[in-house]
Amino acid sequence: MLNYLIRRLMSTALVMLLVGLFVFLLLRMSPGDPAAIIAGDTATPEVIAGIRSKLGLNDPLVVQFMRWGWNIVNLELGNSIFSEQPVLTLLGQRLQPTISLSALTLILSISTGVIYGVLAARRPEGLVDKSLTLFSALGFSIPVFVAGYFLVYWFAIGLKWFPVQGYTPIEQDPVRWITQLILPTITLSLSYIALIARITKSSMLEVMSDDYIRTAVAKGVPERTILFTHALKNAGVPVLTVIGLGIAYLISGVVITETVYNIPGIGRLIVDAINNRDYPIIEGVLMLCSGAYVLINLLIDLSYSLIDPRIRY
Amino acid sequence: MKASRRDVLIGGASVAAGGYFSIGARAQNVPASRTLNVVKSTDLRVFDPVWTTANITADHGAMIYDTLFGLDENYQAKGQMVGRWDVSEDKKTYTFELRDGLGWHDGSPVTAADCVASIRRWGEVDAGGQLVMSRAQDISKKDDKTFEVKLKEPFGALIDVLAKLSTPCLFVMREKDAKRPGTEQVSDNIGSGPFIFNKALAKPGVSFTYDRNPNYVPRNEPPSGMAGGKAVKVDRIVWQYIADSQTGMAALQAGEIDYLERLPMDLLPVLEADPNIKVDILDKGGDDAYIRVNFLHKPFNNVKARQALLYLVDQEGFMRAAFADPRYYKPVKSLFGNNNPISNDESTGWYKPGGDLEKARQLFKDSGYAGEPVVILQPTNSPWQDNASQYLASILRKAGVNAQLAPSDWGGVVTRRANKQPIAEGGWSMFISLDSDYSHGEPLTTSFLLANGEKAWYGWPQDDQYEALRSKYADAASLDERKALARQMQARWWDFVGAVNIGTRQSPVAYRKNISGFIHIPEVIPMWNVKKG
Repeated sequence: MLNYLIRRLMSTALVMLLVGLFVFLLLRMSPGDPAAIIAGDTATPEVIAGIRSKLGLNDPLVVQFMRWGWNIVNLELGNSIFSEQPVLTLLGQRLQPTISLSALTLILSISTGVIYGVLAARRPEGLVDKSLTLFSALGFSIPVFVAGYFLVYWFAIGLKWFPVQGYTPIEQDPVRWITQLILPTITLSLSYIALIARITKSSMLEVMSDDYIRTAVAKGVPERTILFTHALKNAGVPVLTVIGLGIAYLISGVVITETVYNIPGIGRLIVDAINNRDYPIIEGVLMLCSGAYVLINLLIDLSYSLIDPRIRY
Repeated sequence: MKASRRDVLIGGASVAAGGYFSIGARAQNVPASRTLNVVKSTDLRVFDPVWTTANITADHGAMIYDTLFGLDENYQAKGQMVGRWDVSEDKKTYTFELRDGLGWHDGSPVTAADCVASIRRWGEVDAGGQLVMSRAQDISKKDDKTFEVKLKEPFGALIDVLAKLSTPCLFVMREKDAKRPGTEQVSDNIGSGPFIFNKALAKPGVSFTYDRNPNYVPRNEPPSGMAGGKAVKVDRIVWQYIADSQTGMAALQAGEIDYLERLPMDLLPVLEADPNIKVDILDKGGDDAYIRVNFLHKPFNNVKARQALLYLVDQEGFMRAAFADPRYYKPVKSLFGNNNPISNDESTGWYKPGGDLEKARQLFKDSGYAGEPVVILQPTNSPWQDNASQYLASILRKAGVNAQLAPSDWGGVVTRRANKQPIAEGGWSMFISLDSDYSHGEPLTTSFLLANGEKAWYGWPQDDQYEALRSKYADAASLDERKALARQMQARWWDFVGAVNIGTRQSPVAYRKNISGFIHIPEVIPMWNVKKG
């Protein structure tokens, strides 16, 4: 187990190095000049050239990469080209909203999706199963922004149950924190619930035809115990895998959801930074997201052995 | 000691929360009735209004900095920080005296040395400032409240240039800030204006907070444009950034914000029908949109091809494609916009509703056009420019031109348009943009209106005759003289075709009906005099 962990952590470091190199080169090769964006539309080329020089953007690519790489090694992500604030500070300010939204989405999606999938597998072609087919078709096909606008129109402007937009830190006002996050969480969860429920259902159907389930039924074990204790535990590995893979899906959904609901999280930060070609922020956010994605998947791989003792590392 | 899972979770949450609050987000409560929540057209990314020409930064500058002079609603320059000024008999020495009561937000008094340093820094980067510096023999302080501008020769437009509204405006900064080069950002945000930047509540990309400056002494005159008394009527203004205009609209309808600048035009009827919301035009002049062509390469290095474009353009069609609602657009024939003192109708015979396709085809043929690719820079993240670029491509193709769209985001456009190489080496042929109608009435300071070749703005138009007239314009002492010169300049411009107009649009804003007192001027949106309730 320890050897496996060390090997995975070493490969994670290699992945992060490649991600860093890729992100750095991709940004420099893509069109767009931060100096021109800073100077504004009517600035003269001389003014833009002066700003480029001050920002060090005229330095050779290798020099820029070494400078950035040295900062990363020292756990420094540099300063925003525009606001001149440290990227780490900006990331710190944006972490809480994104973590809140992502955590609530995962809680809602996993709890609802797994139960929905189990219940659908209980009676294939039954009412719950059919409703899952319909729900998953809708969940996969309705874009996040359409669902978001619909919920805002209906529940925030029409019924006035929730605020339209914004984010309040949990320490400042927990009630407002949760009320501002309910609509975004539902919006982001729709497709994720559909995904988890579908996978849970198909895994459960596979397991339910196994001999030990038949034996348990013959022994008179209550249905709830069969479903949630015996079958779900064995059907859990594919579900866990999908949850891990879905983190990337979640990150892309967060970007749109944060824009629709004006939540000042990491998603909004990266979109604004890309539009402005604010290289240090883009690089910092992408490194953070890549690192989080790799580590979460590592944790999920490790958790397989917890639910299935046959898996050993 | 062994950490439990709960400890780890609590620790992680604390780190996240701690980051969020490290800037001191909790502080200084002001009642909602005295706080104005506004959503600006874009995010404030740069704080130095001399470092950038971005209008959002000019708005920020108008909040916290003050100006020597201000243009009133009729575009007349009036003293703002300057209390008295006079000019010598030979018209070569201007003496300015600061009015009483001016002080920086850090508590120190404003001095003449601050003004001198600010003019010099602005003179490094602004076209108007560069003109002032080229005409000035010396700019120096006489005493703490007085400074002089000594000229090599009379310069009739000096006060107008110092007061100009087009960005970057001459905002006065502390001497220690203004001593930094114009290519380095000043981000201390210490001004002497009517609002104080609240650094503790600044959240880049989210919101910025401005508090009323209790020590600001406004002039006694009523407010008019950037001139007159800047009396602040709320205690706090919070600039929020909402990236999505539809979300902004919903927030305004729900009463979560008081004022919204960038409206989704297709949903304007919804806002207009809302009894709690007023839709208003703060800049009556609007913005003049245009096609900029590359003078360096085929086909637009040939005047006939540029003239073909002039006849090809159907302004109504462009405006409909770009801005949809005919209540907010109209044609613009004058080089100097629709609403400026020097706007005129000289040599505008080319204008024809619907355009003149046959004449355009003939002119392209006369130019020797032989099917070379014409590359249109298309910023796909700016809906109006995206649509207008597609429309341009379609009418060019009708005229037999091999038009090719080059889609990218705006960041890609601003980079590529600086490329002077031929198309095969990453160059370009045309792009569409706009400036305020007001700025098109300022031939001395607006980069769009220069035609001095390599030194001109993108497209690098060159016409020596036009430039000679522009030079004379700087020396004109009266408005009548300027009007006469403007007619000649316009005749020349439409002859060599420096750029092509495609129409004027107005940008409506919306606010809750309990908000009033907005000042209607171009370029800058001041927030003094605005009250709630």
